[in-house]
Amino acid sequence: MRSLRREPALLLALLAVIVLVLLFVVYPQVQVGVAPGFSGYLSFLEGGTWRIPLQNSLKVTALSTTTAVLLGFVYAYAMVYSQMRWKAFFNLIGILPLLSPPFVVAASYLLLFGNRGIITYGVFGQSPNPYGITGIWGVQTIAFFPFAYQLIADVLSRSDARMEQAARNLGASPWRVFWTVTLPLSRPGLAAAILTTAIYVLEDFGNPQLLGGLVTVLPTQAYSLISGFGDYTSAAAVCTILLLLALGLYVAKIRLDGGRSFVTISGRASSMPRPPVPAALSWACFVGCLALAGLILLVYGTLLVSALTFAFPYNLRLTIEHFQYVATGSNGDALRNTLFFSAAAAAISAVFALFAGWLVQRGEWPGRRLLDFLLIMPAAIPGIFFGIGYLTAFNQPWLDWVDRSWLIVLALVFWNIPVGYQAAAAGLRQIDRSIEEAATSLGASKLRGFWDVVRPMLGGSLRVGFVTTFVRAVTTLSLVIFLFTPPTTVATIRIYQLVNDLDWGGAAAFTVADISLAIVALVVFAFLARGRLVLGAARA
Amino acid sequence: MTPELDRRNFLKLVGVTAIVASCGGASTASPAPSTGGTAKATGRISIYSALNESTNNQLFAAFTQATGVQVDVLPLAAAGELQTRITAEKASPKADIFVGGSSEFHDPLGKQGLLEPYKSPKASALKAEFKEASGNWTGWYTGIFGMVTNSGEMTKAGLKAPTSWDDLLDAKWKGNLVLPDPVKTGGGYIFIATQIFRFNRDEAKAMDYMKKLHTNIRAYIGTSPAAIGEVSGAKAAGAPNWAHDILTEKAKNPAVDLSVPSDTGFEVGAVSIVKGTKNLAGAQAFVDWVLTPEAGALNVKLSNRGSTLEGVASAPGAPTLAQVKLVNYDRQWATDNKDRILKLWQQAVGIQ
Repeated sequence: MRSLRREPALLLALLAVIVLVLLFVVYPQVQVGVAPGFSGYLSFLEGGTWRIPLQNSLKVTALSTTTAVLLGFVYAYAMVYSQMRWKAFFNLIGILPLLSPPFVVAASYLLLFGNRGIITYGVFGQSPNPYGITGIWGVQTIAFFPFAYQLIADVLSRSDARMEQAARNLGASPWRVFWTVTLPLSRPGLAAAILTTAIYVLEDFGNPQLLGGLVTVLPTQAYSLISGFGDYTSAAAVCTILLLLALGLYVAKIRLDGGRSFVTISGRASSMPRPPVPAALSWACFVGCLALAGLILLVYGTLLVSALTFAFPYNLRLTIEHFQYVATGSNGDALRNTLFFSAAAAAISAVFALFAGWLVQRGEWPGRRLLDFLLIMPAAIPGIFFGIGYLTAFNQPWLDWVDRSWLIVLALVFWNIPVGYQAAAAGLRQIDRSIEEAATSLGASKLRGFWDVVRPMLGGSLRVGFVTTFVRAVTTLSLVIFLFTPPTTVATIRIYQLVNDLDWGGAAAFTVADISLAIVALVVFAFLARGRLVLGAARA
Repeated sequence: MTPELDRRNFLKLVGVTAIVASCGGASTASPAPSTGGTAKATGRISIYSALNESTNNQLFAAFTQATGVQVDVLPLAAAGELQTRITAEKASPKADIFVGGSSEFHDPLGKQGLLEPYKSPKASALKAEFKEASGNWTGWYTGIFGMVTNSGEMTKAGLKAPTSWDDLLDAKWKGNLVLPDPVKTGGGYIFIATQIFRFNRDEAKAMDYMKKLHTNIRAYIGTSPAAIGEVSGAKAAGAPNWAHDILTEKAKNPAVDLSVPSDTGFEVGAVSIVKGTKNLAGAQAFVDWVLTPEAGALNVKLSNRGSTLEGVASAPGAPTLAQVKLVNYDRQWATDNKDRILKLWQQAVGIQ
């Protein structure tokens, strides 16, 4: 509080963040929340159609979060600690599952592992029923482990090698070091990863929609209320239930943290290498990651083959007509829009999330817990409601002059803040305050301390925020479906149209184009950022 | 630097907004109420279309050629989303026309006062069931609920195309049948409602049917097109589904067959004018045009759907409302009782 009074610029920045969050997270969501009205909520709750989806949502969230975080932790450990080879390749593989535009990737799983799946039936002669909890669980584990992986890897890479070296020197086995030093120190990342993964699983719509069978979860119920019945008010009521669940998860996470200190970066520089893990463990990591990579590549390979054949899998004649279609008409514009919107949103979202994370973690002003929750909340809002909220709030006659691209970018920014914010918050808890305090005692303002001292050390968190936002923006359908206009159509809208037109080849080709574009863009960004993010990267 | 930039842009936005708001008040006069039909249609109209992608381009190009009115189309082959979007946009409507999708998606908009009633002179000959009495929406095409089968899988299982929905209760169908999920898809719900009307609204009998059918169903599929995909990809022998979509798939995969069991349900595809339209004459011209035999025939050709006009022939191989035996489908009742029926169904099949 004292520093706020001393530094009007800091106070102003804080107020700006609060106003932006109120305007672009809270206000649109209030529009959705009040839509059903009291009687709408009452009749919906009495109707009781939400009970089974609620139970299913809780069950699926518990299962998928557990396995996804476990897988994410193993993957992160392998990437940060082991001496396995091909790390650059595995890093890309670790992002790929995030690049799954709705429907198409889950459909690819069905082609491989369904009851007539190429693997299950073609290779093993089995006809499993892919629909139901098991199917959702399996695909969500693969689809959401990247969130956990990125958050945990960021925290692990910042943990202090000296403590582990000290433990080893005192005679502890690598196993004991892992359990008593590495794991406890990665708790903020682990907690952030569990919370974020759980909230994203809770909100997931695409996988349960395609693989649920009779199993309805809350987001698919909400979506089908809109899509099948145009029943917006009941759908909004479902959305409110989702938000309450997210609030519950958030409270649970606070309990889990217990307000301990996890500082591992103090004023003194650490240049000590990590204690080597046994060679056998490195090999085990390599084999495990390779197996996972094989599975993921198989899924995306199926997609590529679908795009290149006439009508996969019953007409395997090679063709480029699907890609020719992608290149026709306004389709190129859709791909270009996707690229521009996503890049703009990722840059803004990553920096905003980092700054907000710093304000919340380092500030001592009242109400920061609330802002903390508000910055995580968007993860629990199904994209479709985020979009509807924006449309209701900002489609006003007096705002008609604003180009719709802005609204889409803003929606992408604020919908995707949680991961970058969580990464920044977890990272900051590992960095000793004394580093910034050194800067402020030398006369720097708090803001200057943030920009010159903290930001360079959080390059990893910034990167997590940027990459996740970019990748999710490239692949979101539900968020833009209510916001796009003809000139601001994006790739996923076109894919959705093709899926609805039963044009599997065209949808696959468009998806391949969309994903390739995203990968090329990420590689270019990484190249461009190399000079600037070097400080953050050097710690990894 | 970006938060600064963000804030700066935001402030700019606020500033410009204030300026526009302060001088905008004077210039926006409400448009004079139209007398309808008499004004010459010109300019552009914005169309929210739930029609298939393949239909949109050619249909709207033909409209522009016939009338000179230009079209901006917002295509989204999901009428529920478009309905919700029009509701959410009511503060500043962006659409002039909402076209496509069953009338169930247009009707609530009319009740909320979000549609501009228009009784097209071209609609006077239509049967009463094809139009809303006060002119909120007009039906211009029809879709029939049928059955998609895969010839290879049918032979393997020793099955014949069903002539009645009761045929699906045959034990041979066990594990060979998929159904669009009644909770998640409009088609799946129309299937249940059809059964209720088939049993003269005896809900107990209809639920008994659904319960028996449940034992034959291998999976409930999240979208209607995906259920056709299951059958086309030989993952199931058959699925109840939309006849026109089945015909579209049949053109790609000859193993796919269409049949229409008796006492089936259907949809009336509607067109409506959105209240607040900035080009009423253009919007009315569009409604008039889709009700011409030329437009009807073009839509039949492009989408395999039927036309509500008596004189328009159906697509080759497509069933017509006159040929198939329909149930007495009460659209209003089906809409009003949706929640209750779905709950009954969930109880009947034991998922509640």
